[in-house]
Amino acid sequence: MAGSAVSRRTLWGFIGPAILVLAAVGIVPLVYAVYTSLHYFNLTNLKDQEFIWFANYAHVLTDDTFWAAMGRTFILLVTALPIQIALGLMIALLLHRPGLTFLKTITRLGLVLPMATTYAVVGLLGQVMFNIKYGVVNQMLGWVGIAPIDWIGDPDNAFVLVIFWDVWQWTPFCALILLAGLTTVPDEIEEAARLETKSWWTVLRHIQLPYLVPGLVAIMILRTADTLKLFDMVFTLTRGGPGNATEFISLLIQRTGFRSFDQGVASAQAVVLLAITVVLSQIYIRIFYREGP
Amino acid sequence: MNIRLKSALALTTALTVVSPAVAQDQSGWSLAEAAEPYAGTTVDVVFLLRPGYEAAKEMIPAFEEETGIEINITDLPYENALGEQVRDFVAQGDLDVALIDLVWIGNFAQNDWIVPMAAIEEQFPDIIDPDLDLDDFFPLVLDAFGSWDGTVYGLPFDNYSGLLFYNSCMLEEAGFDGPPETWEAVMDDYGPALTKDGKYAYALQSKRNETQSADSFARMIWPFGGSFLDAEFRSNLSSEESLAGLNFRQELMQYMPEGIVAYDHAEAVNALAQGDVAFITEWSSFYSTLADPDTSRIGECLAIAPEPAGPAGRKPALGGFSLAVAEQADDDEKAAAWLFIQWITSKENARQYLDLGGVPARQSVYEEEGIAESFPFVPALVESWQEGVPEFRPRFAEWPEISEVVQQYGTQMMLGEITVEEGAERIGTEMEAILDKAGYYDGDKPLIQ
Repeated sequence: MAGSAVSRRTLWGFIGPAILVLAAVGIVPLVYAVYTSLHYFNLTNLKDQEFIWFANYAHVLTDDTFWAAMGRTFILLVTALPIQIALGLMIALLLHRPGLTFLKTITRLGLVLPMATTYAVVGLLGQVMFNIKYGVVNQMLGWVGIAPIDWIGDPDNAFVLVIFWDVWQWTPFCALILLAGLTTVPDEIEEAARLETKSWWTVLRHIQLPYLVPGLVAIMILRTADTLKLFDMVFTLTRGGPGNATEFISLLIQRTGFRSFDQGVASAQAVVLLAITVVLSQIYIRIFYREGP
Repeated sequence: MNIRLKSALALTTALTVVSPAVAQDQSGWSLAEAAEPYAGTTVDVVFLLRPGYEAAKEMIPAFEEETGIEINITDLPYENALGEQVRDFVAQGDLDVALIDLVWIGNFAQNDWIVPMAAIEEQFPDIIDPDLDLDDFFPLVLDAFGSWDGTVYGLPFDNYSGLLFYNSCMLEEAGFDGPPETWEAVMDDYGPALTKDGKYAYALQSKRNETQSADSFARMIWPFGGSFLDAEFRSNLSSEESLAGLNFRQELMQYMPEGIVAYDHAEAVNALAQGDVAFITEWSSFYSTLADPDTSRIGECLAIAPEPAGPAGRKPALGGFSLAVAEQADDDEKAAAWLFIQWITSKENARQYLDLGGVPARQSVYEEEGIAESFPFVPALVESWQEGVPEFRPRFAEWPEISEVVQQYGTQMMLGEITVEEGAERIGTEMEAILDKAGYYDGDKPLIQ
């Protein structure tokens, strides 16, 4: 339509700045990371910088430490994410029930708090709260006769602690997204279904769940990306330890790039991680969107 | 001390004694006059969140007033200080003074990020304090903290030695007259006697960061005759002596609190301060925390001794920081930076720095009357600085990378996830791979640590 035609200049005026910013903060660093990953590039030995083709990638793909960190990251993902979704769904269903408007408003506001807490602060809180000797958690356990637990110094407990904090921080996110999904179910369909059956599961499975799928896919994509990038909380809480019990992939990349200063290998690790994230996102979209309403 | 360091000392001595220009200055040199051309210059420096730096901060206004030079401080936690400085130097940033942990000096010097002191003397002869007196620094400290390959780059600023801090009341109650003299006594006598009723004999901070590699791992290999590298720069960690030290650490864990691999400095110091452990081996700089009634409950029970000796003698942990002029600074900033470094580490200011909570490396200040009474850690510190090992941790550029390897396997050893022998072997293999890549085995790099 001629009347709604927008001049090319106006178009560029609106989207140009966004493209420039995206290029500056996203594309250029990515291209530079790929360039770096093809070089021996160590910040403590810049004089010997050289192009080494795919040697860094070969190193990363055959490095046990990299795959061990990747394995730990996936274990975190497949344990924390289902818990977050299950708890989030329970909270969303409770908040979706009619009545108690004021309480639900307060709850919804309260749900934002964990998400609004800085990751690094969550880790520092964990250090204090879960300290074996002086932590409030062990003190409370002591009231019910449970002996102090070594939360941070024991490899298994430290891993559980990371899962706990991740669930604490991100369950509200799942709850709010799913609650938004539940509000999209037309009232008449839901009411008709409830006349047909008293089973909440049947209503959930056949009426509500189809409307929740887009939100679930969004949760899975965002939380998967977030888990793969999880750094601040673990760094301040355990620094990847004890041993390497909580050395997730992002901690390994940071360690390689900024503590061992091997930017070449760290960039290769980051590029491989990016590829894995993209593939996972595509898998989610293809599998779950097929079942959409 | 090697030949080049001796030359640097000789050069300074010569400058202070023989050079007519300096001789003339000797009678009339003043900081204010030397700094006059550089008034208004801002010097950017990184500080840590530690007592010595708080002491320096209290002193700096006097320097700024006298010179007109502004000192712009960026406070960083230790763990970020290396990364931030490396990035600044690589990016040709703003830092004019490098804060150098002794294990970073090889890295900084080999990359030409810091200026040798001799170059400063040559370029700015008028700003060298005739009373600089390098000989007054403890030779071990100047050599280890401020020098690389025989060249002096930095002046020792925030200086530590590992010391044994102990709770004399707990030891007396257990029937001991004094602190353990040897690690053997710790294992055989003090450990069993003091580990009871929820209290422990000893806490060895072993968290997976530099604390694991420096405070825990290195602390146990040296007194037993071990070392990281042999003369050919091959791993010495699987030697009988190194393994003896590491196995000793493993066995000693029965007398340490549970979760010791999660203990950093704060936790270890706190364990002693709260009366939960009888002794710790910690850096001298923690004296002020342990002596302060606001942060410590042991009060008069706090006592200090040199670290216990092993079969190879007393090889206390050695650590500390020097300040050097950054190569990236412009000429005015270089001169102003040197004036600041020279002033804050001077003989003249050493007592004030000590009084405010810092630990200077000037021998003269520790010879003052009554100093041992005012600062009970002094005798142990001075003794420790007589027989420390400069390469307690290798000081070459590759140490940060090797340290990461030590941190990983060192902690896994302590947790029992791998055996001590297996861990030593793995660290050795990866350490040699790093050194090989760096060119030490091809003759590309001299075998200096």
